[in-house]
Amino acid sequence: MNSPQSLAMLQNALTVGAILFSLGLVGILTRRNLIVMFLAAEMMLQGISVSLVAWSRHHGDWGGHVLVIFVLTVAACEAAVALVFVLQAFSRTGRLDAAAWQSLREATVGRTVDRGLPAADAAPPPFPTLTQAGVLPAPNEDEPLQREHV
Amino acid sequence: MQDLSPATLLVLVPLLPLVGAIFTVLLGRVLGGRAHLPAMAGIAGAAAVAILLLAATARDVSPAHGPRAEPIRPVEMIATLWNWASFDDAYAPPPGSPAAAVRSVADAAAQGRTAGDVRGFSIPVALRLDPLTATMLTIITCVGLLVAIYSTGYMHGDPGYPRFFALVAMFVFSMSMLVAASNFLLVYVFWEAVGACSYLLIGFWFTKPEAARAAKKAFLVNRVGDFGLAIAVFLLWMTYGTLDFHDTISPQGVIMPGILGQTRLADAAGYAGGAVGTAICLLLLLAACGKSAQLPLHVWLPDAMEGPTPASALIHAATMVTAGIYLVARCAPLFAACPGALTAVSIVGATTALVAALIGTVQNDLKRVLAYSTISQLGYMFASLGTGTLLGFTAAIFHLLTHACFKALLFLGAGSVMHSMGGVIDMRRFGGLRRVMPVTAATFLVGALALAGVAPFAGFFSKDEILAALHAKGWPSAHDSHHAVVAAAEGPLRLAAFATDTGARDAVGLDALDRPETWRLLFWMSLATAGLTAFYTFRAVFMTFTGPTRVPSGAHGHGEHGHESYESPAPMTLPLIVLAVASAAVGWLLFATNWLSHFLSATPSLTAPAVASTAVPHAFHLDLAIQGTLAAAIGIVVAAIGHLGRRSDGPQMERFLGPLQTLFANKFYFDQIYAALVVRPLEALALVAALVDRHVIDGAVDAIARIPVAAGGIIRRSQSGLMQRYALAGVMGVLTIVVLLAWQLRG
Repeated sequence: MNSPQSLAMLQNALTVGAILFSLGLVGILTRRNLIVMFLAAEMMLQGISVSLVAWSRHHGDWGGHVLVIFVLTVAACEAAVALVFVLQAFSRTGRLDAAAWQSLREATVGRTVDRGLPAADAAPPPFPTLTQAGVLPAPNEDEPLQREHV
Repeated sequence: MQDLSPATLLVLVPLLPLVGAIFTVLLGRVLGGRAHLPAMAGIAGAAAVAILLLAATARDVSPAHGPRAEPIRPVEMIATLWNWASFDDAYAPPPGSPAAAVRSVADAAAQGRTAGDVRGFSIPVALRLDPLTATMLTIITCVGLLVAIYSTGYMHGDPGYPRFFALVAMFVFSMSMLVAASNFLLVYVFWEAVGACSYLLIGFWFTKPEAARAAKKAFLVNRVGDFGLAIAVFLLWMTYGTLDFHDTISPQGVIMPGILGQTRLADAAGYAGGAVGTAICLLLLLAACGKSAQLPLHVWLPDAMEGPTPASALIHAATMVTAGIYLVARCAPLFAACPGALTAVSIVGATTALVAALIGTVQNDLKRVLAYSTISQLGYMFASLGTGTLLGFTAAIFHLLTHACFKALLFLGAGSVMHSMGGVIDMRRFGGLRRVMPVTAATFLVGALALAGVAPFAGFFSKDEILAALHAKGWPSAHDSHHAVVAAAEGPLRLAAFATDTGARDAVGLDALDRPETWRLLFWMSLATAGLTAFYTFRAVFMTFTGPTRVPSGAHGHGEHGHESYESPAPMTLPLIVLAVASAAVGWLLFATNWLSHFLSATPSLTAPAVASTAVPHAFHLDLAIQGTLAAAIGIVVAAIGHLGRRSDGPQMERFLGPLQTLFANKFYFDQIYAALVVRPLEALALVAALVDRHVIDGAVDAIARIPVAAGGIIRRSQSGLMQRYALAGVMGVLTIVVLLAWQLRG
């Protein structure tokens, strides 16, 4: 077995960290759902945390561990605050799409219009239905429309 | 009050109106209809103090008994308040200038070097008291008081009531300081201050466009004259190395001769002649022309009648416009050294007198008639000053005094008419007012008789002295008998003055005008003006007060219908009566006793050898009196033929004058000529300047401002509002830095 301080262990851990970070980065750059973007950001944070822990173990001190615990604490707080923002944004526009806020652009710059939406988005596929149990909930007229593109 | 010295009293004369003005400004809102009280108290106090000072000064003048038993001793008193400015070693006179020439023995001994090498520049705030100042102060404060009393009736109910009295008190302060200042720079300061008061009072009803325009015109035309005064002050400093009137003593105990101080006055060569002296005098004359509305700067005064009538009476008839007379009289020794400049003063004066009188003959606005009459009478005074003789100077001040009485009376009478006629002042719209305004009519008639020069009213005597002064210059031989007496007494002095006149000084081209022929022409012009004066004065009297009684529809009388009285209230008629008594009596009193002439001849400026040597015994010139009376009689008779007993809106004048009527009614086209020569080119220049400012200068600034806007426009396109793009930009930035760092660490 490789010792925890070995270079091979460090490389493995750093690779995992880099993959996590890159996945998060790609997620942030490509997804427009606010919650998914937030998850992607958290993933980048975890990638960094893995690297820190790896280096800490490699050098045999506690600095990296302490910092990671600290990052976790801050991330928890941040998650609470960020979710409030996301909820507020959703209740304003009824959408979780980050592009719903593109009206905050410069007045002289034209609106960016989505092109070539997947056909699936245009008409949602029929969802599998389960056998009814209990009382049928009263249908909410607005809700399906709001959730359409999530 | 043990320290009630003349110096304290002298300071009180300007101080009291100033305090009155300040209190009127501060308490105006509170006092409302009683806002005249502080101003009037201040002016009344100043008038009382001025009369005390006049008496005190008169006590100091040596008595006139005996055939010039002793030469008149100059009387002056200086009260220095504080030093306004003081610099050491400010002036080194050019060699050969009078400043270098006048030096005291003590100076050279004390300094161990030639006096006048280098001297400091200091402006002491000094007031002076001499016969000329005392006379002027009395006129200013007394007329000011009467006008203030009158204004309580005339301005009653005006929304600007406190403002009016504050300005009048402010004016009395400025004017008293102007005549009491003993320094050319202070004179300049208060010269401007009275101009500012005049501007504010002409534009008193500033919501009326004509009044605002007239105020602006007066201010701008006066600037031309003030420019002359400024240059004259510079030249005086360069030439004499001081701006003080009086001698001062430097900290080293050296006497510094003032420009009009006794050291220089006693020196026959103390004053610059030639080109520099003439330039100074002509610039002073320009200043006087501006303030005293003489040709070619007279155009502002008729328009200034847009102001309230009491202000017109005080400022534009009795006092401020005489500042030019005062200035020339004060600078008599300077002018006496430049015969050409003196002749120019007379030519300007006599021409103005004639031209203004001609314009006055066709005016239909009662106040305008009086305005042109004021210009004409001021022209008389200038003609008299220009003779350069003691008689000429004293006659001018004598006429100034009588004119202040009767012209203030006439203006206040015109104001009384205007007040009762509901603001109408066009003589064609009313007539026969003697039946409905008896007091105004009677006092106006007294003023008109005085102005026309009918014996024994005031104007007759002062005009007679002016004509005598001009006559003496035109026909010297006829007056030789007088001169012989004087020559015997003051022969050596005259010879000395003559030697310096001809030898040491360069003749200026203008001096060639100083010939008897010129003076004869000026005399005949003045005599013609006397006739015209009588004509237009009585034309106004006949048009306003005789003929069928007519009042404009806007007037509202009081009393029974059909017997309404339009007479003004007592505060307005009382000053009229006082001034009428003065106009009737003051000329005869002062002429018979020769008190004023003798009193004024003790003024330091008039004791200069060149002036004092021209003294002639007091005499009544029967031949001139007959000529003057004849001219006045012709004028009155012609006016009576045209207007007595007729409706005042008839076409008599047009038929009588024919094409000349057009010329006179258009005021010799002065306004049009100035508009074409000065106003239009300046407006064109202003337009060009405005365009350059708007498009070139502002354009350049705007162009610079557009650079950041354009640069921002490029970057602005990236602000799409899409978070992913912002994040991408951030990632690209981080990647760039990483690549660069890797590039660095590679080696």
